[in-house]
Amino acid sequence: MLPVLGVGVLLWPALPANAAPRHFEKHFTVQGKPVVVIQNIGNGRIEVKSWRNAEVVLTGTQASSKISVDSEQVGDRIDVSSNLIDPTAQPTEMEANFQLTVPEETELQLKTQTGLIYVEQVIGDMTLESVAGDVHLKAVNGYIIVTTKSGTLVCTSCAGKLNFNSISGSAQLLQPALSNVNLFTTSGNILFDGDFVRTGLYTMNSGKGVVEVRFSSNDSFDLNARTATGTVDNQAADFIKPDSHGIKHLANKYTKGFFGTIGQGLAKVELSSYSGTIRLLRRD
Amino acid sequence: MPSPVQCHDVLEAIEVHGLSPLPETVREHLSDCPECQGIVADFECILSTAHQLPAEVEPPARVWLSLRAQLVAEGVIREDAIPASIPVENPAAHASWWHGFSALLHGRAVAIASVGVLLFAAAVFEVRHNSVLPVHPVTTSPVVAEKSNPTQFPIQPPAPAQPQPTAAQVLRDSGATLRTQERELHTAQTAGTLPTSPVDDSLQQDLVTLDAFIADCEQHVQANPEDQLARQYLAAAYQQKAQLLAEMLDRGRSVN
Repeated sequence: MLPVLGVGVLLWPALPANAAPRHFEKHFTVQGKPVVVIQNIGNGRIEVKSWRNAEVVLTGTQASSKISVDSEQVGDRIDVSSNLIDPTAQPTEMEANFQLTVPEETELQLKTQTGLIYVEQVIGDMTLESVAGDVHLKAVNGYIIVTTKSGTLVCTSCAGKLNFNSISGSAQLLQPALSNVNLFTTSGNILFDGDFVRTGLYTMNSGKGVVEVRFSSNDSFDLNARTATGTVDNQAADFIKPDSHGIKHLANKYTKGFFGTIGQGLAKVELSSYSGTIRLLRRD
Repeated sequence: MPSPVQCHDVLEAIEVHGLSPLPETVREHLSDCPECQGIVADFECILSTAHQLPAEVEPPARVWLSLRAQLVAEGVIREDAIPASIPVENPAAHASWWHGFSALLHGRAVAIASVGVLLFAAAVFEVRHNSVLPVHPVTTSPVVAEKSNPTQFPIQPPAPAQPQPTAAQVLRDSGATLRTQERELHTAQTAGTLPTSPVDDSLQQDLVTLDAFIADCEQHVQANPEDQLARQYLAAAYQQKAQLLAEMLDRGRSVN
């Protein structure tokens, strides 16, 4: 039986209302794979990096005493939240920035309003939510769910599965090793620049934006690209063969697009846009 | 010596009268019959357990809104019928599914119970099977519904079937409901005196973006009602708008 590390609640001391931003720091010893939850009601940046120690370190700043930053540890679960104390607080007084250092294998659930969410070199499932802040991920691996309203996702060298949903935010996937990708944005753009994992499933949809896929000649995938009123810019037509796997793609008088196979067609790629542009091109 | 009432008479009496008060003759039989005493004890145990369960289990209206819109977009819902295997209608409330939407945005005090979640998950699986656009999970507050009369069993008899709206009607109704909610939100914002934050401005801008996209899609779908891709995008935009309005209302209550 795992020992319970104890329950602790930390309330950072109140500050004078108009004081300068105050620094806070807290250490949490963990034993297994921790689960860290941060709920930031106001604005601010959340930055997460990993190390090899079995400890979670939380540092940061809060803009005023009109909010409190509270934390709780129960076993390997760590909950951190900023809470409104004074309802008259102005947006600038509700800002809290967090820096987390976590074990490499950590699950994350992060939510903020504006300000960047940055996660680097963490292995574990993560749910990241922002209204207007961007989300930057680097060398992360897991089942990743990103939801923004207008924030943009930049995912560099990410592995695992990715689900992204946004109204006006864009998504850039650079050198991905993702086996399952599901992207949807109403007016943002989508860029996929990298290799398709064999047997991977990739769905990328943008209502009004550009869906651009840059693939290499070594890739192997079946492609289905469709748009209702937009345009298709196929700059790799020479590399696309007719689909030969037996599924008959019927022409649709309402949509334009193309079906085809690159290589052996081991992965499946579906691209669509309502009124934007679908662009397909080779990297090499 | 056992009374003239037989064991099967006890079961009939329970069926007719419930557990209490049982007729005198039945009570006499019970006092002498350990088998019937066991049956009655079992019924009492079931009743007692049932009373501890939420009597009404009803997923949030937003779940049905999203699901319905997605089913329409996928062409699963047809003009005359809905496949029986897909639980489109909330069996506990056969009233129009969008009627609850207003209450959702104002209170969201409706239940998510295991049955509702399972139904939703099953339907989502069914829809996703042939889906191009994703069905996005709807996050809701898991608030337990108020208990209804504890003497009632939680199972409601099925209501009579109602005429199903067409796919185009469902999409139109979704749009109309969302527009109503948006107007109410604007009214509330106009009446408010608290300052807005950059986040509020951002959400407002997102609403403008969505509205413009929806208007474009609606126009296209009206002209080309069989365009499945356009219907899918319209349904997805409705889902996003529902979530956006809910978030704006939440912020109005909690932050500003």
